[in-house]
Amino acid sequence: MSANRFFATGNFFTSYREEQRIFRTHLDRGLFILFLACLFAWPLFFDASNRTMLVINNILIAVVAVYGLNLVTGFAGLISIGHAAFVGVGAYTVAGLAWAIGEGHPLIVHWWPLMILAAGGMGAVFGAFVGLPAMRLKHLYLAIATLSFQMIFTWTIKFMPTFNQGQMIPVGRVVWIGGEVGRKVHYLFWYYAILVVAVICGLMVRNLLRSRYGRCLVAVRDNDRAADAMGMHPGLTKVYAFTLAGFFAGVAGALHTYMFRGAGFESFTLHHSITYLAMAIVGGLGTLPGSLFGPAAIYTLELQMEHLSEWSGTFLPDSFNLATALRPLGFGLVIVLFLMFEPRGMANWWRICRSYVKLWPFRY
Amino acid sequence: MNTLTVSEVTLSFGGLNALTQVSLDIRPGLITSIIGPNGAGKTSMLNCISGFYHPSSGEIRYGAERLTRASPHQVTKKGIARAFQNLELFGGLSVLDNLMLARHRHLAYSFFHALVYWGKAARLEAENRAFVEDVIDFMELEAHRKRAVGSLSYGIQKRVEVARALTLGPQLLLLDEPMAGMNIEEKEDMVRFILDIQKERGITVVLVEHDLGVVMDISDQVYVLDFGELIGAGSPREVAANRKVVDAYIGED
Repeated sequence: MSANRFFATGNFFTSYREEQRIFRTHLDRGLFILFLACLFAWPLFFDASNRTMLVINNILIAVVAVYGLNLVTGFAGLISIGHAAFVGVGAYTVAGLAWAIGEGHPLIVHWWPLMILAAGGMGAVFGAFVGLPAMRLKHLYLAIATLSFQMIFTWTIKFMPTFNQGQMIPVGRVVWIGGEVGRKVHYLFWYYAILVVAVICGLMVRNLLRSRYGRCLVAVRDNDRAADAMGMHPGLTKVYAFTLAGFFAGVAGALHTYMFRGAGFESFTLHHSITYLAMAIVGGLGTLPGSLFGPAAIYTLELQMEHLSEWSGTFLPDSFNLATALRPLGFGLVIVLFLMFEPRGMANWWRICRSYVKLWPFRY
Repeated sequence: MNTLTVSEVTLSFGGLNALTQVSLDIRPGLITSIIGPNGAGKTSMLNCISGFYHPSSGEIRYGAERLTRASPHQVTKKGIARAFQNLELFGGLSVLDNLMLARHRHLAYSFFHALVYWGKAARLEAENRAFVEDVIDFMELEAHRKRAVGSLSYGIQKRVEVARALTLGPQLLLLDEPMAGMNIEEKEDMVRFILDIQKERGITVVLVEHDLGVVMDISDQVYVLDFGELIGAGSPREVAANRKVVDAYIGED
């Protein structure tokens, strides 16, 4: 055991087990726990409006989805433009079942944690299936294969009566300790539920990344010939990457259905797939913190764009219709700027800040 | 220890024969070199053995096992490791992670162990980390352990390439021009490593190399290829005296 476990200075390891730790110092760990505590405690002190809670919940759901996308696109290097469809698979696992057995069925409203897990499983199955072309295809061709799944998904939902032809399928209010979760606490309840899921998923991803099941993803990204020579099947590893992505997307989808108390096809279109990709890029591909920053940044950007277009409406004539143009414009601009000037995303800013604080007052 | 037997292997790409009826016998515990002019089929031979190419006809056996149709990861599982000529490292990862990747199939914990990273997963990771450290020590890579491979110099990267093959824990090591593009000092280091790999670790080495001085000094047996055909075989001394080999490759003084 090293002499000092609180700061980076003088902190050394005497066994490989010590070096495996996620948090190198007690300070790191303490700050992380404090951060988590704040996330759990703030609703007790601030009375946030439903509108705010909705945005925050949306961000957290997107975080879970982007974990998956970051694993497949960031770590395994396989571009997926069908991620919203995987989210949709999870959402429709719950919604489809609700449509079939009734929105208030105990399986839906009592056993909802199980349903979330089942939705993840379903997402994983679809992920594995859609990932099969990765055995043969690479790069753009593979991206087109995922795009085709996106298209097939929306069409299937739109035309199948099993899924109410894409119209909103309602899902009942869930039951938790102390009875049904009512209208007033709905968003707050789901804030906590989603937060717990997001934290557990985040820890799972973090653990995967320091094990063979995470390293193999990076191996097939960097060099799949060499990965083959290292004794792993590159094709199957890629299918596994898609399976993982499908799982997290499925979980996110189920959370989406429960939080919005229903699912409709318009939440899982190509537009959303690209938004997820944008979140991953802006956050930082191939980094875990990036999966947190990305969704937060993109949702904040969308909100600001809305404000901006509202404000511009006060002095511009209606015929300008700047409002509708501003959103995609600003959105595209941000992605292009990030790709040009900070391809490593916001996670890189985070890294720079950290090392600055660590070394302060020295420069290096 | 098994003998690697390549019998009458032909590899053709369309009308071109990269290898024609080549037979090799790679005996355990020795350093076997494959030499020949550029385009003679040396790397093709290694590719056939390590499973990246499959011969059009002929057979490759390792002990009792047939490797003719095996894919690279299957060949690796048999205990045959390969270091590439054009660096095929995982550029974005540190030296340590590159080597840990080579322990992939030894890390026999389940996916769910990995999710919680507790017990077996953490223990196996630490055990294999110790193995990796042993190789790092052996290949003298301590100073570069935590650095991204892409940022290292060419000579060091070559060394990491060999180290990674060694980390696979092979019985047979295929080295494809491990000394290409190195200066004298780096070459001397590499020769020392190769000799140590054979003597200390008891690993059979197959070496493809252009530096004849090195080949003649350290090889136990030499095979000479030219235009995909085997034109000479035997001890370095025998090969150096072989008329065909002198004409095709070595040249007169």
